[in-house]
Amino acid sequence: MNSIRLGTALFALLAMPAFAAETGNVIRADGIRVEPFRDAKTIATLSVGDKVQIVKKNGGWLQIESSKGKGWVHMLNVRKGDIGKRSGDIGGLLGMASGRSGTGKVVATTGIRGLDEVELQSAKFNETELNLVESYAVSRSEAQSFAVQGKLVAHKFDYLPSPEVSPE
Amino acid sequence: MKAIINYLLVTVLTLACSAAWSFDFGEEFKKVLKDGVQKKIEEKSDATTSSTLLGLVGTSQEEEITIGRQIAGNLLGASALVKDQGLQMYVNNVGRWVASQSERPDLAWHFGVIESGDVNAFAAPGGYIFLTRGLYSLLQNEAELAGVLGHEIGHVIRKHHLKILKQSSLVDLGGKLLSQRIGGNDKVQKLIGNGAEIVARSLDKNAEFEADRIAVVLAARAGYDAFAFPEVLQQIGHFAKDEGSVALLFKTHPHPDDRLEKLGLVMTDRLENVKGKTLVARFYRIKP
Repeated sequence: MNSIRLGTALFALLAMPAFAAETGNVIRADGIRVEPFRDAKTIATLSVGDKVQIVKKNGGWLQIESSKGKGWVHMLNVRKGDIGKRSGDIGGLLGMASGRSGTGKVVATTGIRGLDEVELQSAKFNETELNLVESYAVSRSEAQSFAVQGKLVAHKFDYLPSPEVSPE
Repeated sequence: MKAIINYLLVTVLTLACSAAWSFDFGEEFKKVLKDGVQKKIEEKSDATTSSTLLGLVGTSQEEEITIGRQIAGNLLGASALVKDQGLQMYVNNVGRWVASQSERPDLAWHFGVIESGDVNAFAAPGGYIFLTRGLYSLLQNEAELAGVLGHEIGHVIRKHHLKILKQSSLVDLGGKLLSQRIGGNDKVQKLIGNGAEIVARSLDKNAEFEADRIAVVLAARAGYDAFAFPEVLQQIGHFAKDEGSVALLFKTHPHPDDRLEKLGLVMTDRLENVKGKTLVARFYRIKP
C-alpha cells in the first residue's frame, strides 16, 4: 500500500509538475511526530533531501507522508515543491506553471502594467490619491475593536535573534 | 515660508561661493524639512530612538513623516488605490492592529492596496505601507495579510529606507539645492530622488531578513498564526525568477527560499507551539 502510494507520488512528481506544491523536500533533519507538538512521540527521523507528501498544515506544522512514516514535522524544515525549481529550463517552466495557477485571474482580468523601476522613478505626486488613503486611517482603538471582533488576543513575544550560524 | 526659502538660497549661494563643501549636510537636511510638515502627529517625541537608530543625523518624527508622505504620494502617482473602500478599510484595520504590537503603536499608520498585477509590497518612512492587488490576490487568510503588513511595518520601525535615503541623498543635496526655485513638496522631493524610486531600491539583505523576523513576531503578538507569513513566502517562491510580476520583488529581495531558510533557523524553536488564528472566514476577498 505504502509503496503504491509512494509510486503514485513519484509518478505525479515527475509527470505533473503542476502538483509540485503537494510535495516537499526536507531541508533540515527533523523527527516525524505523531502529533503537532514538540514533545509528541517521534516515530522516525527525516534526513535532508528526503521527499515528503504534504497532507495539511497546522500552524507551524505540516502533516506529511513519507517512506519513513506518517506524522507531523516543522513546516520550515520542509521546502515545498522541489525538483530544483531554481535552476534550468524545467525549473523555469515549473515555476511559471505554479505561478500562473496562483495568479491566473489577476493576470487575465486586470491587464494592468507592472510596477518597474522606470515607472517608479517617473511617478508624479498624486495628492488626491494620497488624501484618499489617509482618509481610510484607522485609530488604535478602532483597530483594537476590530481585533476583539475577530477574537484576537494580544500576546507578549520577544523579537527573534538574528541567526548567527548559517546552515551548511 | 518665503523667508526660509530666501534664507536657504542665501545660505547655499554663500556656501557655493566660498566653495565650503564641508558644510553640515545634516543641519541643511533638517532646515529643508522644517516647514514640510503638513500632518498632525500623534506620537510623542521619538528623538532618542531616531538618533540611536540612525546614528547619522537625527531625523525627527515630523521630518520622517514628511519624507514618507512625499514618497507615498509619488507611489500613488505610479499606481492608484484599488477603488474598494471595504478592502481599504479592512487592510487598515488589520495593519493598524499589527502595528499596535510594535514599539511605534501611535504613529499615524496608513495602509493601502494599489492597482498593479505585480506581486509586491512597499514601505515608506513614517508609516505609509502599500501592497499590490497582485500580492493581495495570492493571500488566503487574514493571518497572511498580517504577516505581509508586519514585514513592511518592520522596515518602518527599523527605519531601513530612511537610512539608505540619508546615506545616498545627503551627498548631493548641496548641488541640487542650487539648481532651481524650490516649492514646498519640491524641497522634500529633492531629498528623495526621482519619484518613488526609493521603494524600488534594494535594502541590505539582512534588513529583509530582519523584517521577516519582525513580521512573524508581530503577527504572533497580534494573535495570528505566525506561520502564515512563511506560507506566503512559499507561494511567492513558486514563481519563476524571470516572470514579470515578481521581477522587481525578486530583484530587490533575497529569494523566498533563502528567506524561509533564515526564518526556520530562529522561528521554529521559539514559535512552534504558539497557536494563532488565521481568520479565513473574515478575510476580505478582493473583487476580480
